[in-house]
Amino acid sequence: MDTERHGFKTLAFRHETVLLFVLVIEWFYFHSVGPRFGTLDNSYDILRHSIEIGLLALAMTPIILTGGIDLSVGSLLGLCAITFGKLWRDAGLPIPVAAACTLCVGALAGGLNASLITWLRLPPLIVTLGTYSLFRGLAEAITRGVDTFTNFPPSFLFLGQERWLGLPAQAWIFLVVAVAVWLLVHRTTFGRSFRAIGFAPEGARYAGIPVERRLAMVYVLAGVTAALAAIIYTARLGQAKADAGTGYELFAITAVVLGGTSIFGGVGSVHGTLLGVAAIAVLSNGLVHARQPREVAGMLTGVLLILALSGSVVPKMLATWRTRRQIPREIQQSNTT
Amino acid sequence: MARIGGLKILLQLSSVTKSFGAVRALKGVSFDLRGGEVHALLGENGAGKSTLIKIVTGAHRPDGGSIEIAGQPVRHLTPSTAHKLGIACIYQQPALFPDLTVAENIALRLEPATAARKVNWRERRARAAELLQRIGADLSPEAEVRSLSMPEQQLVEIACALGAGARIVIMDEPTASLTQKEQQLLFDVVRGLRAGGVGIIYISHRLDEIFQLADRVTVLRDGESVGTQLVRRTGVAPVSNQTELAAHAGPENGDRRDACPTLTESELIKLMVGREVSHIYPPSEAEPGEVVLWLKNLGCAASGVKNVSLAVRAGEVLGLAGLVGAGRTELARVLFGITPADAGEIQLNGKRVTIRSPREAVAQGIAYVPEDRRRHGVILELPIAHNLTLAIHRRLFPGAWLRFGAERQMALEFIHDLDVKASGPEAPGASLSGGNQQKTSLARWLATKPRLLILDEPTQGVDVGAKSEIHRIIRRLAREGLAVLMISSDLPEILGMSDRIGVMRGGTLVAMLPGRSAAHEVMAAALGQAR
Repeated sequence: MDTERHGFKTLAFRHETVLLFVLVIEWFYFHSVGPRFGTLDNSYDILRHSIEIGLLALAMTPIILTGGIDLSVGSLLGLCAITFGKLWRDAGLPIPVAAACTLCVGALAGGLNASLITWLRLPPLIVTLGTYSLFRGLAEAITRGVDTFTNFPPSFLFLGQERWLGLPAQAWIFLVVAVAVWLLVHRTTFGRSFRAIGFAPEGARYAGIPVERRLAMVYVLAGVTAALAAIIYTARLGQAKADAGTGYELFAITAVVLGGTSIFGGVGSVHGTLLGVAAIAVLSNGLVHARQPREVAGMLTGVLLILALSGSVVPKMLATWRTRRQIPREIQQSNTT
Repeated sequence: MARIGGLKILLQLSSVTKSFGAVRALKGVSFDLRGGEVHALLGENGAGKSTLIKIVTGAHRPDGGSIEIAGQPVRHLTPSTAHKLGIACIYQQPALFPDLTVAENIALRLEPATAARKVNWRERRARAAELLQRIGADLSPEAEVRSLSMPEQQLVEIACALGAGARIVIMDEPTASLTQKEQQLLFDVVRGLRAGGVGIIYISHRLDEIFQLADRVTVLRDGESVGTQLVRRTGVAPVSNQTELAAHAGPENGDRRDACPTLTESELIKLMVGREVSHIYPPSEAEPGEVVLWLKNLGCAASGVKNVSLAVRAGEVLGLAGLVGAGRTELARVLFGITPADAGEIQLNGKRVTIRSPREAVAQGIAYVPEDRRRHGVILELPIAHNLTLAIHRRLFPGAWLRFGAERQMALEFIHDLDVKASGPEAPGASLSGGNQQKTSLARWLATKPRLLILDEPTQGVDVGAKSEIHRIIRRLAREGLAVLMISSDLPEILGMSDRIGVMRGGTLVAMLPGRSAAHEVMAAALGQAR
């Protein structure tokens, strides 16, 4: 197919543009039905509530680009929240040290996924389905299912509940991570390798790309990010429980796919993921303001996902259909030239 | 002649043509198959055999010419009509369900797929047993296909074909993975089918099989039929493999009724190889320099490579000939670290090295342009520019930051240098023709500035123009001091391009011939009939 497609028409059919359009419509609709929706306070609310899932979605993007998936990030968020609470309250470590240790636990957990996937060559879906149960089970075992960590010092809760330089404090962390992941995926050879692996793992190997190392990298990165999300989560709610982050992995995957990343790997973008996160966050917040029951949010997210995906697939299908009809003519041309 | 002439024509192809893009795979081939004969189809790789077969099975629609089956012209042959008309194809790798039993597999092929039907197990088993018995196969219908050997699975395929009432059976290199004994069993079954009036199209690279089994042979070359010959008329009676080999010692062998059987074989080889080749290929002007690659008793049990010793010098093109499955690609994969060696020694520029991954191979200055370019050579979805720089990320992008300008510049240079026909550096690999994909794959590896370049079937599926361009590029690279190891199943290419020719068989190097060797010498070594 033609490759040098520039100009308005291409931009208009880009997945990200479609999604941005959806986001704008969402915003105006909820603004018209819910009087409090458009306030600054509510915008901050949306931001605060979307940051943990946003972080997981950011980490999920390179994984899905390589053609993999990580179902364990939500459970890992729970395990890290517990670890953090345990280290602070029971081991008596100062908050920064406990946080650093939690990040290490996240890296180790990601490393476990990575080694099972690269050494034993097990499919990521199976491996992370296993660690999904394992991490949650560990969190529940540590707390025996009842223990909750609370009474964190205000200096720590600041991270999750206060503003800094005009934005919720955790938004700054999110911004840094988002920029870093964007650069990694779009401006470095690592991102290039992720795509190559996602399109053709064997082809990437034949090109001398260290496929195993690149895969290990994305899963460890996801582990660290899940730990970071766990700390922010604890700071926002002021408590750490074993069920923290339940179901977050599916929200993250939904956001990534909604953002135009192909579940088969290779195609996708970090800015798409950010738009995907925003679309879901605005939807679930807006529905509350529109006085709709919470359950509708899940339903509408599903509809949104299907609509956005078909919105970008249908024009492509039409294009293939058209070129397929033109093939006889093209062959004639290539024979004469 | 009289015997063949008296048989009913089952299949008649007249002046069939087929092109893929600019590549003309078949240029007006006529072919006929009669009931009760084994008609061998011979030709080098890429001569058009598989295209012809795919036309007969309905997988490809011919561009021109006509097909008649049992005297009836057939317009639109599709796989399902071919099946209905009694055409069956038995492939090298049987396509059966491993977890189902023999009887179930046969039933899946033969029973109509109607919904909600009660399975009559007894009838199924009885039918399977009957079919297996008809071909003399000693197999239990209850056996799981998984537990069967390759030839046994082939027997199940043949039973399916028979059960479907196939009158035309195509066998595509059925003996490629069989032992001598299994081979003889299969031959008995084939002879049985022939006696029952079935017409068999038999494809094989092994000439001895042709002489044992075939009644007629058609040789394809470059998409054209260069003649159909009676095998018996050339005077070779069906004999066992041993006597066949012994016959080479001299014509005085008592079993032989004809004067010079070897002549027939070399005639056949000549027919396959065809034209004088030397002058289409750019002449070698190599003055070999130092030894770049030196192998001693190299082996890899996992991929069946054993005891390979050879040396490739700078500026030299070492051709590796052999049949499909002789272990040439496997050797390349060992050298490139995809299946690392577990025995022997590799030296590069006089230094002993171990290569455990493609990445290490690249670091050692080895480049490998793989055989399967669509799966391994280029990443079809990525733009040409990205494909070109994939193996030189470290050098082109210091600190891992992409430099789009430098990348585009490099891509433009290579596109110009190798004359890649593409709309630009942004064009995805999938948009290129086979030859241009191959050039892209080659360019990726030239960018790594290698010392040793391994080319695996560099011109397979490439049209004539791009082919000679690729040959010129290979020559130029050798002149610039690269050591080139070129695997090819295209015999004229091996003969025309190589300074020396290594011949592999059964995972090991069996002969090292000078560059100006004759085709039949190489072929004889590859077939295991040297001396």
